[in-house]
Amino acid sequence: MSGDVSDRARAGDGSAAPRVPRDVVVGVCVLVFCAVAYAITFGFKQAPAALAQNVQPASFPRLVISVIAVLSAGQMILSLRLPEKALKPLPWAVAVSAAVMIAFVIAFDAFGIVPAMVLLCFGLPVLWGERRWHLIVPYAILFPAAIYGLFAKVLGVHFDPGLLGPW
Amino acid sequence: MDAFLTAASMFADPYLIGVVLAGTVAGVLVGAMPGLSSTMATALLLPFTLTMEPIPAIALLSALYCAGTYGGSITAILVNAPGAPPAAATAFDGYPLAQKGRAGQALGIASVSSAIGGIFSVIVLIVAAPLLARIAYDFGPPEYFVLALFGLSMLASISGEAPVKNLMGGAFGVLLATIGMDFTTGVDRFTFGFWELSDGVHFIPVMIGLFAGAEFLLQAGRLDRVVVRAAIEAVKLPSWLDFRRCLPTIGRSCGIGAFIGVLPAEGGTVAAMIGYNEAKRWAKDKSQFGHGDIRGIAGPETANNAATGAAMVPTLALGIPGSATTAVILGALLVHGLRPGPHLFNTTPVLLYGIFTAMLLANIIFLGVGLLGAKLFARVTLIPVKFLWPSVFVLACIGSYALQQSLLDVWIMVIAGILGFVLKRYGFSAAPIIMGLILGELVENSLKQSLIIFDHNWLRFLDRPIVVTLLLLTILSVGAPIFRRIRARRRAAAETQGGPA
Repeated sequence: MSGDVSDRARAGDGSAAPRVPRDVVVGVCVLVFCAVAYAITFGFKQAPAALAQNVQPASFPRLVISVIAVLSAGQMILSLRLPEKALKPLPWAVAVSAAVMIAFVIAFDAFGIVPAMVLLCFGLPVLWGERRWHLIVPYAILFPAAIYGLFAKVLGVHFDPGLLGPW
Repeated sequence: MDAFLTAASMFADPYLIGVVLAGTVAGVLVGAMPGLSSTMATALLLPFTLTMEPIPAIALLSALYCAGTYGGSITAILVNAPGAPPAAATAFDGYPLAQKGRAGQALGIASVSSAIGGIFSVIVLIVAAPLLARIAYDFGPPEYFVLALFGLSMLASISGEAPVKNLMGGAFGVLLATIGMDFTTGVDRFTFGFWELSDGVHFIPVMIGLFAGAEFLLQAGRLDRVVVRAAIEAVKLPSWLDFRRCLPTIGRSCGIGAFIGVLPAEGGTVAAMIGYNEAKRWAKDKSQFGHGDIRGIAGPETANNAATGAAMVPTLALGIPGSATTAVILGALLVHGLRPGPHLFNTTPVLLYGIFTAMLLANIIFLGVGLLGAKLFARVTLIPVKFLWPSVFVLACIGSYALQQSLLDVWIMVIAGILGFVLKRYGFSAAPIIMGLILGELVENSLKQSLIIFDHNWLRFLDRPIVVTLLLLTILSVGAPIFRRIRARRRAAAETQGGPA
């Protein structure tokens, strides 16, 4: 999506072909989402008339989806012929961090909370360019230990034992 | 009065005072840290309160809310990076004043005006909330339906830049609230075979994801940002002359903040901007605004803190959040088994007066803490972001998990975080989605009940005067920002066609 950096002013001086306004692209995405969500509502079970009292389970979601679609169309119209600022390209660290977020949950499930936290607290600062090992190593050990102690021992939150099960 | 005295006497307990003190100090710290807002902090802290009794839990969050709003001013003044959105206007004059070597004076007036605004707002809360609750006591489903619509419609004006996007966000939140088993028919909706989703999507992981997860990604893109801190010698109280100069501004901003705060969905950020503009508009000599006029600090700081207590009025009396942070506090009340609304004033008055007392206490504490410790709090900006944000993310994950000890909630948080980042990039805000998610159940149930009462005749909504009034206000609150947007669009189009002058 970062390539969608239409700059109307730039387009106006003839140096580049006019592009579709960003809000129109966003609006189309929202409309597609609405179409899919609306289609899903056809899969909802029908409730007996006495229970539903003329308001089937799908009625309200359909109403809300329709409202979103109408608003989206309105937003697309409002955005036409408006100059818009170009979006800065996404820094690589954002994509990497989003991947780390997902990887953390997978590690949480696979290895348990403590190893997942240690991996994250060690790996993420390193990925972000931190090289002060005298800070990274104590942080990667002490912070997860403190968080685990607080939640598991003080607040009584149960965590699956994971890799550290025997201990 | 008895309830108030009972609640006040509870605060003789060192534990409760300690809770409020901890919430206040945490709030100032969080508020001072750019990127960490009091909304995010209350969302992150909420899971910690699950094992607490309702009064200390809500007192903690309320104290954090009040102090967090003030804390944002510290970094706005010292580093020109507002710790929280409500402090954005404070930086206009706070930072130039700090650059002139008068950071102490700037922080002093920020502390005093914030405390005055905050205390005024609690008085408004104490007076207005029970009155509003009394009016709302006779509300039926049609009134609640239109009231919730009005609350959602007010989202249009949260950000003047994108009123329609805010409404879309609110509607998307309402749609999220339909996930799970339908209340009246027992039919699953949008659960995709996951039985865990039958109970619906809990708003806490979504809230944590949208506020903390999205901010985590946003900060990941700003790792190379260098913070330059203005020097601060000591925080000194503003002189009597300074104070007298600011007094009309403070008085005006108290009224502005309280009025804006009471409006559903509006909050401290809007109040601060209006407070700043009005301080400038009423000033005889405007030349120093933007260059370090002390009234440019007093105006927004009083207004954003005056909005805190006022934003709790619709939250507690009607169950309609007055701001993003009060939406989180409303969520906390629900988690603790309390349904905000007029009945809360009859069933648990001690809890409510406990909240009022905690907020009052927090405002007094942060005045002292702010004046004595601003120099220390300003040091939070020295915490390396490469350690801070991984810690925030870990807390976000564990907080989401702790709620129901379900990994699905962690997944929901992560998805909400990534989605929140993408939406923010394309001009959507997180607050409307949260508002919609929290109000979704109320909207659907009150609509269904209304339709049953009216025998599915929609026109019968118009038989009720309160409904008609609220509908007109809803139309106005949706229409006005969109109309302004259309006018701005026409002006911009005309300028583009006409070319630069």
